[in-house]
Amino acid sequence: MLSSIHTPRLLRFSNLKSLKCLSTSQSQPTPLPSTTPPPHSQILTTRKSLLSREISAVDLATTFLHRLNHTEPKIKSFLYISDVVLKEAEEIDRKIAANEEVGPLVGVLIGVKDNICTCDMPSTAGSKILENYKPPFDATVVGNVKECGGIVVGKTNMDEFGMGSTTEGSAYQVTANPWDLSRVPGGSSGGSAAAVSARQCMVSLGSDTGGSVRQPASFCGVVGLKPTYGRVSRYGLMAYASSLDVIGCFGSSVADAGILLHAISGHDKFDATSSKREVPDFASQFVASDHLDSKPLKGLRVGLIRETIEDGVDLEVISSIRGAASHLEELGCTVTEVSLPSFSLGLPAYYILASSESSSNLSRYDGVRYGKQVVADELNSLYGESRAGGFGSEVKMRILMGTYGLSAGYYDAYYKRAQQVRTLVRESFRAALDENDILISPAAPSAAYKIGEKKNDPLSMYAGDIMTVNVNLAGLPALVLPCGFVDNKSVALPVGIQMIGAAFEEEKLLKVGHIFEQTLQGCSFIPPLVADELPC
Amino acid sequence: MGSIKALHLLKPARIATDSFLFNFTKNGISSFPLAIKPKHSTAQRSYSVKSSVLEPPNIPRLAQTARISLTPQEVEEFAPKIRQVIDWFGQLQAVDLQSIEPAIRADTEGDNLRDDIPEKFENREALISAVPSFEEPYIKVPKVLNKE
Repeated sequence: MLSSIHTPRLLRFSNLKSLKCLSTSQSQPTPLPSTTPPPHSQILTTRKSLLSREISAVDLATTFLHRLNHTEPKIKSFLYISDVVLKEAEEIDRKIAANEEVGPLVGVLIGVKDNICTCDMPSTAGSKILENYKPPFDATVVGNVKECGGIVVGKTNMDEFGMGSTTEGSAYQVTANPWDLSRVPGGSSGGSAAAVSARQCMVSLGSDTGGSVRQPASFCGVVGLKPTYGRVSRYGLMAYASSLDVIGCFGSSVADAGILLHAISGHDKFDATSSKREVPDFASQFVASDHLDSKPLKGLRVGLIRETIEDGVDLEVISSIRGAASHLEELGCTVTEVSLPSFSLGLPAYYILASSESSSNLSRYDGVRYGKQVVADELNSLYGESRAGGFGSEVKMRILMGTYGLSAGYYDAYYKRAQQVRTLVRESFRAALDENDILISPAAPSAAYKIGEKKNDPLSMYAGDIMTVNVNLAGLPALVLPCGFVDNKSVALPVGIQMIGAAFEEEKLLKVGHIFEQTLQGCSFIPPLVADELPC
Repeated sequence: MGSIKALHLLKPARIATDSFLFNFTKNGISSFPLAIKPKHSTAQRSYSVKSSVLEPPNIPRLAQTARISLTPQEVEEFAPKIRQVIDWFGQLQAVDLQSIEPAIRADTEGDNLRDDIPEKFENREALISAVPSFEEPYIKVPKVLNKE
C-alpha cells in the first residue's frame, strides 16, 4: 500500500490523499468527500455570531461544557475546570446587549496549561509539590486573554514542570490522545493539545522548552505555534529552562493560533527578555480559500531539512512530510533539501542546558514559601524531605543530572560545551534561512505511541524530541500543523509538519500555514470521538 | 515506533567540525545500554579536558547537593538511568568546539531592564496565605543546624 514511499519526489499530494485520507480500510477517520471544508477560525466565528446575536455566549459556553463533561472522563486533559465559565459568559452577553465594547477574544473558551499562573485557579505545573497552590497573580498572558474577552475554561494537564514528552509525567493523571485513547497525546503540553483536539475548548495556551507545544500538536492533529523567544512575556510561567522556555498557542486552525498569539505578544516590563519590537496584526493576512489564486505561494523558497527525514524516522511520517512538500510546490513554492550539520548535536546539548537550568530554577520549591511542606526538626531536612515528597522521579533525575552538569570542574565539559553547540545550531539555522524563506521538517519522528511504551526509558523518550529542540536552542518561531495521517492497524493517527522561520517572522509562517491548511483537501482533523456530535 | 536513534554512544569517535553529521542507526537505543561501560568510554574518547576529572555521577552526593532526600531504592533506580544519560551527554566531548563562542541564550532583543525602583505588590494577602507556616511578620522554619 505504501509502495510510493521510496519515490518521494514524485509523490504528488493527490496520491498521498488517496493513501492517507481516503483509505478504504476500516480505519478512522471515515472516508471524506473532497468537499470537506477547510478548518475555519473558531475565534472569528464566535465573535461574529455573538455580535450578530445569532447565539449567546452562555449558549456557546454551555455547548462546550457539555462536550467537556462528556469527553473528559476518557481524555482527562484538565486538572481543574473553572466553576465561573457561565458567569463570565453571562457578563459577556450583558456587555453585548448593552452595546459595550468587547475584545477580539470575546466569548472564546481557552484552556491554560497548569504551569501558567492563574490567581483564581490552582496552578500546580502537574506537580504534587504545588498541590492546591493558588498563585497571588495572573501570568501576563492570562491577563492578556482575559482583557481580550476570553474565558479561561480551566487548567490543563502536563508532564510535571514540563519535563516529559507524553504527559504521563503528571503527578495527577494520564491524559489520553483523543484519536486513540490507548495512546499518549504527546507532551509536555498534552492536556492543552488534547483539549483543543477534542473540542473541549476552542484554543489553549501551552509552553515549549524543547517541543512541548509542537510535538503534542502533531500527535493530536491540531495547530501548535511556538513563537520566537522574546515575543511573548514569560512572567507567570513557572520556569523550567529560562533560556529556552516560551509560551505558545494551540488552535484548530492556523488563524486561531495566530489571533491568540497576537493577543499575548508584546513587551512586558516584568520580563526583561521580552522584545519591544512591534507586534504585527497576524490576523489581517488570512485570506479566504476562495480568494486565493492558483499559485498563492509563488516564489517562496522552502528548505526541507535533510537530517529530519533520514533513517530512524517513521516511514509513513516521512511520506506525509514529502507529500506536504509536494503540496507546497503545487502552491508555487520551490522546495529544496537543506542540511543542518549540527542538527544531531542539538539533542544532547539541549538536555544538558535544560537539566542544568532546571536544577537551578527548581531550587525555589523548598517547602518554605509555598507548596508542600513536611514536618522536620531542622531546616535541611525540611528542604530535603519536602522536595523528596513533592517531586516525581523524572524531575528528581533531571535536577540531579543538572546538578552534576553544573558542578565545579564539570561546567566546562558539559554546560559550556552545550552553549557552544547552541552557537553552532544558531549559525546553521541562520545560514539555512539565508537561503530559504522557511524550513520544514516533521514535528516528531513518529505519530503518537502507546501509553507506557517509553515510560521507563528516558533516552528513548528524549530521542523523540530531535525534531524540535534545535529550534528552541536557536530561539526561532515554528508552526506545526496537521498534514496527513499514519495508518496504525485500525486507527489513523495525525502527523504534523513543522515550519520554521527566522526570528520574529511568525507572520510569514502563519501566512504559509494558513494557505497550506486552506488548500489541503480531503483531510479532516477532527477525531472520530467528537466528529459525530460537532456542529461547531 | 520510529524514534530517531540519535544516541551516538556506540561510536564515540572524534568528530571534526566540518563533518559531525551522525548516521542515525536503526538499533541505537535498544542496544545502547550495553555499550555503556565506563572504562571503555573513557579509554576511547578524546576529551578536551582531562578525562580523569570527569568522574561518573555519585547519586547520594548529588542528591545532598540538590537537597532531595532519596530513598535507597531511588538511588538504586536512578543511578543507572542517570549514568546512561550523562554518558550520552559525553558525546559532546568528542566535538571540536575550540574557537566557538558559547551562547548564553538564543538571540534576543531583550535586556530591557527596568529601573530598580521597588514597587508594592498588590496581593500581599494571597502571597502570605500560600506560605505553609507563617507567624506575622515571619515565615517560620525549624531550627537551622549546620551539620557540616
